[in-house]
Amino acid sequence: MTDSPSGGLSRRRFLTSSGAIGTLALAGCVQNTSRGDGSGSDGSGSDGSSDVLSGQVIIKGSSTVFPISDAMAEEFMEEHGNVNVTVDSTGSGGGFENWFCPGDSDINGASRPISDAEIEQCSGNDVEPVEFEIAGDALTVAVNNDADWVDCITFDELRQIWSDEAGVTNWSDVRDEWPDMEIERYGPASTSGTFDYFNENVVGEDTEHTTEYQPTEEDETIVKGIRDNEGGIGYFGFAYFNSNSEAVKAVEVKAEEDGECTAPSLANAKDGSYPLARPLFIYAAESALQREEVYEFIEFYLEQAETDIVQDIGYVPSSAEQRDENLEKLDEVAG
Amino acid sequence: MATREPETGWHGENSDVNHLRGRAFEATCLAATAFGLVSVLLLLLFVANDAFRPFSADAGWLATYAATVVVPLAALAVYYYRLDEPAGEVAYVTSGLPVVGLLLTGGFAVLFIELLSVLEWFALLISLVVAGGLIVAHGRLRPKAALERLAVVFLSPVITMFGLPPTRFNWFVTDTAAALGLDFGLYYRVISLREAILMLPFVPTDWVMLLLTLVLPIAGAAGWFVEKRRESRRDGLAVVGMTTVVAVLGLVAGPLLGIGTEVWLLLVTFAALPLGVYVEGVIRRSEGVRGLAFPVVAVLGVAAGAVATSALGFAGPNPWLDWGFLTSATSRTAADAGIYPAMVGSVMMIIVIVLTTFPVGVGAAIYLEEYAPSQGLMGKFVTLIEINIGNLAGVPSVVYGLLGLALFIRVLQWPQGSIIVAGLAVGLLILPIVIISAQEAIRSVPDSFRQASYGMGATRWQTIRQVVLPEALPGILTGTILALGRAIGETAPLLMIGAAASVRLAPNSFFDVASMMPRQIFSWSSELDPAFRHGVLAAGVITLLAVLLVMNATAIVIRNRYQRTG
Repeated sequence: MTDSPSGGLSRRRFLTSSGAIGTLALAGCVQNTSRGDGSGSDGSGSDGSSDVLSGQVIIKGSSTVFPISDAMAEEFMEEHGNVNVTVDSTGSGGGFENWFCPGDSDINGASRPISDAEIEQCSGNDVEPVEFEIAGDALTVAVNNDADWVDCITFDELRQIWSDEAGVTNWSDVRDEWPDMEIERYGPASTSGTFDYFNENVVGEDTEHTTEYQPTEEDETIVKGIRDNEGGIGYFGFAYFNSNSEAVKAVEVKAEEDGECTAPSLANAKDGSYPLARPLFIYAAESALQREEVYEFIEFYLEQAETDIVQDIGYVPSSAEQRDENLEKLDEVAG
Repeated sequence: MATREPETGWHGENSDVNHLRGRAFEATCLAATAFGLVSVLLLLLFVANDAFRPFSADAGWLATYAATVVVPLAALAVYYYRLDEPAGEVAYVTSGLPVVGLLLTGGFAVLFIELLSVLEWFALLISLVVAGGLIVAHGRLRPKAALERLAVVFLSPVITMFGLPPTRFNWFVTDTAAALGLDFGLYYRVISLREAILMLPFVPTDWVMLLLTLVLPIAGAAGWFVEKRRESRRDGLAVVGMTTVVAVLGLVAGPLLGIGTEVWLLLVTFAALPLGVYVEGVIRRSEGVRGLAFPVVAVLGVAAGAVATSALGFAGPNPWLDWGFLTSATSRTAADAGIYPAMVGSVMMIIVIVLTTFPVGVGAAIYLEEYAPSQGLMGKFVTLIEINIGNLAGVPSVVYGLLGLALFIRVLQWPQGSIIVAGLAVGLLILPIVIISAQEAIRSVPDSFRQASYGMGATRWQTIRQVVLPEALPGILTGTILALGRAIGETAPLLMIGAAASVRLAPNSFFDVASMMPRQIFSWSSELDPAFRHGVLAAGVITLLAVLLVMNATAIVIRNRYQRTG
């Protein structure tokens, strides 16, 4: 009761004085909302003049292609800082099935060509995939550093190890002079394009890939598994071997019994002598290519795929003819 | 009455008491505690060593800083602990306040850089204030019209924030007005106050808007707090006035220091103001004044160390966790990699979680504790629901990720991996925890408070609003902050909803594809280059842990205040 009038009075005084201060401040310090751009924008806040590229490019797909796409994204964003290029590794098949074909991603990396079933799924959602071959890989079979008994292995022996048919559990089951030690298998999960490639070309279409192994989407896990187990064996893209060449030992491979043992290397993959050399792809949705940022990014990607960026990561860059062919295709589709 | 001889002896009367089992049990418990603590400590030291790499520095550098910083601070800490405990608390608070203040400053700076311009913030806040004013005014003018007020409470923020959608009514009015030759009236869509402010041809400069909408309200709140505490209006006004003066000094000081006026304003509001009020209080009470020496010694020590090492030419360490790490995006070269976009993603995700989970969770807790029937068939049903909420708190986070994927992405068709989806999925995950902790807090309000309130003739709504909620609020806040601490570290739901592995641009809308800190840390763990897995990963983990520690410390401070006053 006693302090209410005085409280009201000074509150009023406070309000008037702060109002006065506010008005003064407003009168003294104003800025023009059009901020000197001129071009007749009525404060819509989109500070992009039309020559600055912006937008979003979503890349999913193969963990093998991931390092290339990630490097391309980084290089591209240095030139076009307003384009958000996000890269994720979901496995080739996982990317097609869950992201690319439902229309949730613009580009899908793949370490194998797209399958008929996936094309069908895509076209069911009006997604038209456009294929670009961007690099080559030497799929690498690796064993533990202490596994001095194996230096070269044939497709047939790989088939025995990676299928259930032969009933192989120990190294000695494959070749008699190998030690009586259990084989610990580490490989990519079945959503991976590397898995599909290996399954098709080594294990064979008629034989089932074994399920008695540690499947993972992270190639790093495969390397760790092999490193820590003397009887370990696994396969992954060459880049992961390239940056872990001290942790595990790569095995030479020959396709036939009387063939020549060839070590996995970029040179051998390039000249075609390495039997597990394979092409790597990116697939772009045709509708996404109509968007300027996606088109620019793909163009950049295809141009840079021929340079040392790819080589540094540990893959075979595409040839100049391949690059020109890709760019021509891009123009055709998007033009 | 004569004392009676005991008829039966007590247990162990005839034999010596055996302490051995008890001692053994105590030792086992101690060993269990020590094992847990020591292993966690070792792990943290290991990670911290990777993140900061202290041994990459010269021995001289380490020795210099040990002499200028570590030894004096350790000596002070021992002194406080042994001889002057109030000073210890003062030292703790004065060192902690600037850290929290700087973090808040950083948070707001990120908000203004990434999410909305100062003008948008200004418009948003003005609209909210006007909406609040409308509600209060309606309450004053028509205190009896409860139903009408409900409509005002919901509609006025909507109208000031979003305006009215095009409706037949607007068309009708506009068309009639045009037919009568009057070229005014409602247009096809009534724009909101917020949009009107955004369209103004001239607005105050950024710093004036910040001063009006951020510095002055917070200074006002601090002034009000001081006024209440000391029962002196003059002191309260002094706080407001001095804050404003120091803030305006930023016009000169900000550019001079190279941080800009806006950052200066934020610093004054979040770091200088709370610290100033606290320090002034300490000095006036002259209680634990010696504690103020701690931060001073720390700053002087660091400065002396910097001067000495540069004079003597000792090279410092080359840590992974440095300023560049906090402010740059991830990269394929480990040395350039940073966590900034993921940090912004995490902050925005937390905003979504707070805005959605807090009201829903607290609302549910209030209903379950205060309104829900406790007897009869319905009472059994409520018990069943409560048991299920308890179970939901234990459901693995992957399941919530799947739920988010199915509900928000497949059904609602929101963009995969966007912040809104991540925030809602993780929000669902912590919702049961928020409900349970809020229930605990409400339950701990003594029933006598409620009875007293009813006895004064208050209604149930008045009792809840004016007695139960204010009393329970600190407990609710503590529980919610701890739950948010869990939310910020969740990884599995983010993977399920497709947060991307590599995002280099900080998101600036809630529907952008983004990465969050745990997701970014996870993707570093599978990088080709081992430097990522050892260095960058550790730096990311330390950053995440630091954010968590600050959140938990805030929760503890709130709880302690509550215990003191309650």
